[in-house]
This record gives sequence, structure tokens and C-alpha cells, in this order.
Amino acid sequence: MQVTLDTLSAARDTSIALLDPNAAQQIPQGIERAMLASDKLPVVLAVILIIWLGLLFLLFRTDWKISRIEKRLNEGGDKA
Amino acid sequence: MTPTDRDSLMLPTRGKGYGIFTIFVATWLTVVICFGILGKISNLPILEHTARNLYFHVPMWFTLMLGWFVAAFHSLRYLMTRKRMHDVRAEQAALVATVFGVLGITTGIVWSRFTWYTGTNIWWNGDPRQVMVAVQLLISGAYFVLRGALEEDRLRARLAAAYALFATATMPFLTYVLPRRMESLHPGAEGNPAFSQMDIAPEMRWIFYASAIGFLMLGWWIYTLRVRFRAAEIRVTERSH
Repeated sequence: MQVTLDTLSAARDTSIALLDPNAAQQIPQGIERAMLASDKLPVVLAVILIIWLGLLFLLFRTDWKISRIEKRLNEGGDKA
Repeated sequence: MTPTDRDSLMLPTRGKGYGIFTIFVATWLTVVICFGILGKISNLPILEHTARNLYFHVPMWFTLMLGWFVAAFHSLRYLMTRKRMHDVRAEQAALVATVFGVLGITTGIVWSRFTWYTGTNIWWNGDPRQVMVAVQLLISGAYFVLRGALEEDRLRARLAAAYALFATATMPFLTYVLPRRMESLHPGAEGNPAFSQMDIAPEMRWIFYASAIGFLMLGWWIYTLRVRFRAAEIRVTERSH
């Protein structure tokens, strides 16, 4: 469970070191079991989904605000 | 509002080139995502398929950097010319930078949690780059708090521009220089340049470059879209007064 400074310096080559080697021996539980399946491919999916959902959020917000401008323009249509 | 103020918010009509650019960006990124998922990777233990996250996590930070540089450029231009359009551009560039920053840190948290921290249940691992980038995001957040706190347009634009220059000045240090001086999960902490010949397999390198360019272009598209929207919003709001 503990991440000591020793394991951290052992983790210099981060591509092959795991910060807690004991953890790798355990059978993954719950959400980890899903994430670690098929050589951790679901982690990539999660990362892509986060980006996609974040950009969608920005898009929806902009969409909503543009609708508000359009409404204003339609209300004051004669004056414009 | 004086007539010059309104004129300075006039935008050129959306040209044909812009339409082609948006289609190009959409196609480019679609291809990059396909290659990112299907392409060959050096399947290392622990990293395994998550090496592909390089294509998606790292470009977020490149876009954050570009966003803040654009924000700083227009903030400086605002202070020099006092043209409102520069204030609008700076605000939207900062917004895009911050959104990409939040996506970057979130993807980083998920990546590390299920790669190096399996079985530990550590979500926030105190990696120096993660912590410093969080500080940078707080500095970014303060920019919008500052804007939100000021009612008077000119005062807000002036103070925000000065603050944006400060926020951009801290950005390279917090995202790039300082984290590389410390032990980190991120490459480059050993004193070598990250993405050197040894850090990235040749078959991954081109997808990574293409992805970085793709997300930078996507960021630019979103930024110009937001600028068009914001300029329109200000003009509509102020006409109705």
C-alpha cells in the first residue's frame, strides 16, 4: 500500500517499474478488473472518452449560449 | 458604447478557407484516433496498451500552452491598443487553454491510477508535474474569477490582461521546467529531453506528432468559434440597452 521514496526512485524507468510491486500480485477487484482487462486497453478508452465528453460539454454550453443570442435577436427583431 | 468600440468587435465574414479548415481538422483527428487505437506500439510491461494515451494526454498540454501564449499575445495587444477585440480573444484563448488543461489533468489521473497505481487506490499521487499543473490550473481559474468580479468593461479588460501576462509567465515553469527537476512518472525527469530517440518508439512517433498537430488545430477551431460567439454576444447585449 505504501509508496515509499525507495520505490519511487526505483521507478526511474517508469515504463517497466510499478510503484507498488506487491499490488501487481493481487487479483484486481471491481473497477480495476474492468480497466486492466485486455492489456489495459480500457484505460485508453477512458482517456479518449474524458476528452470527448469534455469537448462535448464545451460545445453544448456554447450552443446554449448562442441560442440565447438568437432569442434576443428575434425578440428585438424590429428594432434591429 | 462609442462607435469605435462596436467597430472593433466586427469580425471578418467566415470565409471558405475556414470551412475547409474545419473539415480538414475533423478528418485529421478522426484518422489520428484510428491510428492511435489500431497502430503498432511497443507493448511494455505495466504500460501495455496505455502507451497509446501518449497520443491523447500529451496534446492536451500542448494545446494549453498554445492557448496561454495566444491569451498573452492578445492581452499584450490589448494593453497596447485598447481594442476590445483583443480582450475577447484573450478571454476565449484562456478558456480553451483551461478546458484542455482540465482534460489533461483528468486523463493523467485516470492513466496513472490504472497503470502505475493498480491495487493501491491512489487517484491523486502527488507526482510533481501533476501537482504543479494543478497550481497552474488554479492560476488559470483565478483569471476567470477576476473577470467575473469586475463589472466595468474597461477596468476588467485592463486588469485581466495584466493578470493573463502573469499567468502565462508562470505556465512554462509549472508545466515544463520545474517538474523535470524532480522524480516523476513523466519522461524527461532523468535529465534527458523527453521524446528523445530513446523515449519513444519510431512507429509511435509519427502518430504522436500528427495527434499533437491535430489537437492544436482543434483547439484553434474551438477558440475561433468561441471568439465569434462572444463578439456576437457582446454586440447583441449592448445594442439592446
